[in-house]
Amino acid sequence: MAEVNMEQLLNCALCPNLCRCECPVLQATGREAVAPAGKARIASLANEGKLYWDEVMLEAAINCLACRGCTIHCPFPELNLCDELLYSRLPAREQGVNLPSVEPYLNNLRKYSSPYGQKAGALVTENQPGEKAGGQKVLFFNGCTSLANHPGSIEAARSVLVRAGVSFQMIEEDCCGYPAQVWGDEDMVRQLAEENRRKFKDSGAELLVTSCPECWLTFSERYPNLGQELPLEIVDGPTYFLGLIKEGRLEPVEKSVTEAPGPKVVSYHDPCIWARTAEKTAEPREILGAIPGLEIKEPYASGARTRCCGGGSMFQLAFPGTASAVAGRRLQEVPADAVLVTACPFCREGLLQGDKPVWELIEVLDRFFK
Amino acid sequence: MAQDMRTILQESKVDRAAVDRYAAGAQKIVGEHRVSARQADLLSASRDYWPVNSIWMREGVFPALPQLVVWPESTAEVSELLALANREKIPVTPYGEGSGALGGVIPLKGGITIDLKRMNKIRALDEKNLLVTVESGLNGALYEEKLNRAGYTGGHFPQSLRCSTVGGWLSCRAAGQFSTRYGKIEDMAVCLEAVLPDGTVFSGRSVPRTATGPRADHLLLGSEGTLGIITSATLRIWPLPEKRHLATYTFERLEEGLEAIRLFMRAGTRPAVVRLYDGQETGNHFPELGDKRCALILLIEGNTRIVDAEAQVIEDCVRLKGAESAGAEYVEHWLEKRFDVSVASILFQKGAVLDTIEVTTNWHNAHSTYLAMQEALLGVEGTMLASGHYSHVYPEGAALYVTAVGFPGEDKIGYYKKLWQAAMPACHQKGAAFSHHHGVGLHRGLWMADEHGPGLDVLKKIKTALDPQGIMNPGKLGLEEVRTWRK
Repeated sequence: MAEVNMEQLLNCALCPNLCRCECPVLQATGREAVAPAGKARIASLANEGKLYWDEVMLEAAINCLACRGCTIHCPFPELNLCDELLYSRLPAREQGVNLPSVEPYLNNLRKYSSPYGQKAGALVTENQPGEKAGGQKVLFFNGCTSLANHPGSIEAARSVLVRAGVSFQMIEEDCCGYPAQVWGDEDMVRQLAEENRRKFKDSGAELLVTSCPECWLTFSERYPNLGQELPLEIVDGPTYFLGLIKEGRLEPVEKSVTEAPGPKVVSYHDPCIWARTAEKTAEPREILGAIPGLEIKEPYASGARTRCCGGGSMFQLAFPGTASAVAGRRLQEVPADAVLVTACPFCREGLLQGDKPVWELIEVLDRFFK
Repeated sequence: MAQDMRTILQESKVDRAAVDRYAAGAQKIVGEHRVSARQADLLSASRDYWPVNSIWMREGVFPALPQLVVWPESTAEVSELLALANREKIPVTPYGEGSGALGGVIPLKGGITIDLKRMNKIRALDEKNLLVTVESGLNGALYEEKLNRAGYTGGHFPQSLRCSTVGGWLSCRAAGQFSTRYGKIEDMAVCLEAVLPDGTVFSGRSVPRTATGPRADHLLLGSEGTLGIITSATLRIWPLPEKRHLATYTFERLEEGLEAIRLFMRAGTRPAVVRLYDGQETGNHFPELGDKRCALILLIEGNTRIVDAEAQVIEDCVRLKGAESAGAEYVEHWLEKRFDVSVASILFQKGAVLDTIEVTTNWHNAHSTYLAMQEALLGVEGTMLASGHYSHVYPEGAALYVTAVGFPGEDKIGYYKKLWQAAMPACHQKGAAFSHHHGVGLHRGLWMADEHGPGLDVLKKIKTALDPQGIMNPGKLGLEEVRTWRK
């Protein structure tokens, strides 16, 4: 089991929290118990046996979107509160303390390898590349949330990859294990890691491309921590697709903005993990910037200072009310005349409130590139 | 089953049946989801940033616990919640972001904590009259951010900017780091809207000044939740400055720096930031300057021509007192680090007790107060360091900030009390005032009689008139004796 760094956890617990203004859960709910230091205090007291885990304490300590917004102003460079809370909570499940709202989703995960239940069929694809073929053999990983909620983005990815002549396959996916990690079932994370490792190896692919930041984080950080190094290179979607553009395998369609229906002005919402962990803020903007005639307007907080959509840490399943409130606050920071674009299925889900569309970056590529 | 949570300062609790009745009533007012008796919420509302709370936290004990936490979203809801508490005689503690440094939000008698963070809207931005009306629960950094996006500044930058609320500022007469130009929060507050314990809502008028008797709404400034709850305020704002001028000077002696500041304030300049550090703090904050000289950092901002003129006048004054120029980079460094309080967490984990005590002096006793307080703090066994800086200045004097760090061993609470028992009389003997902007809370209440003399009785009479049941934040502001916390 991962060990908690008590010194860092206490640094937060004892701090007045310069990060409070950037904690989306605190600002949306007003609850002291879910302030960064509030959670750190509960976790540190539980770690030291001065409190014990019960449903009430767990509910507070799990109220973290893992957006790392708290790192923006944090004076402790070594502190990763999201991870410390994650590790601190692990004993709770071992002691039989669970969050009832997530149990149905964990049961789905056990039964179907997806928190959303039975997976949609007809995903498996293998592309025989045409004359533009080249580069590594790719395994494209969509992630459970796109599979369950937005098959359009999968079709878009398939279409773009075929158009670019990529030798790729999509396989019958199992969950990466991120939800199980957040909800404290580390055994399940291990099982899924082993299964995915086997499947990826069997695929013969050399490069794993994932459009989901949570999957990317799990594959590239959590799996190695669990001793499950993957047998192929991992790359995030924005970097990979920008590479295809730079190689000339995808080209923007001339006058596609001015002379065809569709968005003329877009605003890119940086997903937390792409922006703050993977540091991929330039790539999506380069892709959008390559489209002639498309105007890009930044939301108020962007790049590494992005603010959460409410979708991190599976919040839309565990705490739908808070997720919705966080998304509502974020939407106020987006220019009113712009179509929102993002590169994360959770962000899309979270920000899809009312009748305003939210485009995935892959859908923009599908619409504006040939 | 509820967890056993031991408290140290709990004077009493409200009868369970009365709390249950209140909870049922509160749920009708604000809805079920904005009333909580969950222990995670209760323990989190039990404390603020008073160093003593950190000592107790590490021991796994709590200062005192509320029995319910409620989150209103409107003045009307606050009014109903207070009226209900008044009828049931249930204590009420208002809560913002918990950055107070003196235990002001500890619910000594249990009851209800009213957390105001969901009252976080800007109600009106009046650009013509340079006013903003803002609800009291809005986070300070988010308040400034909203103003900046519209082209304005609130001019209020306490070190707690990112972890405090507008209502918290007003309740303890807070000061920002730019206060020499923009004033303390009471200078910015044109009028307040507040709710009295019986549910009465009242507000002042948002006109520049009045001469129609004492301002009833201004009574709530600095009242720290003991008279009622501030629900919104109309504050002065400023257009974002055209120009910012940064300068650092050093002096051989602290007195010379103080005299230079007195001269440029007397000449009518109003730089936003004026901070003069003793040698020890100069060395801590700006190692390149060493600890032999005293650093003065200045930030002047506003209209370009006015800024240029002020910079020239200030330059003339500091040169008269032997200043050496050290460049702008130290102010830039300070701007970058000015909200960083990480040293407290780090030192605390190494066994230290650290606290800062801020007082106000006139010019004639500005230096002698520093010397007296430093000597008093160093005289307490276990003290390793006692240093100081002047953080806010006025034509008539300055705020002095003294920091003490000690390694007292096991009896941290005893050491903490000794620090204050040494520092407060030293401050009093020099004629300085006991607080500039941290307020009173629980702990400084121990010296309120020394500070106010007969004036404290006036405050007690006002308290009795407005809060006859004594439900509002009991035990704070030195208005009543607290059995569980004595000198």
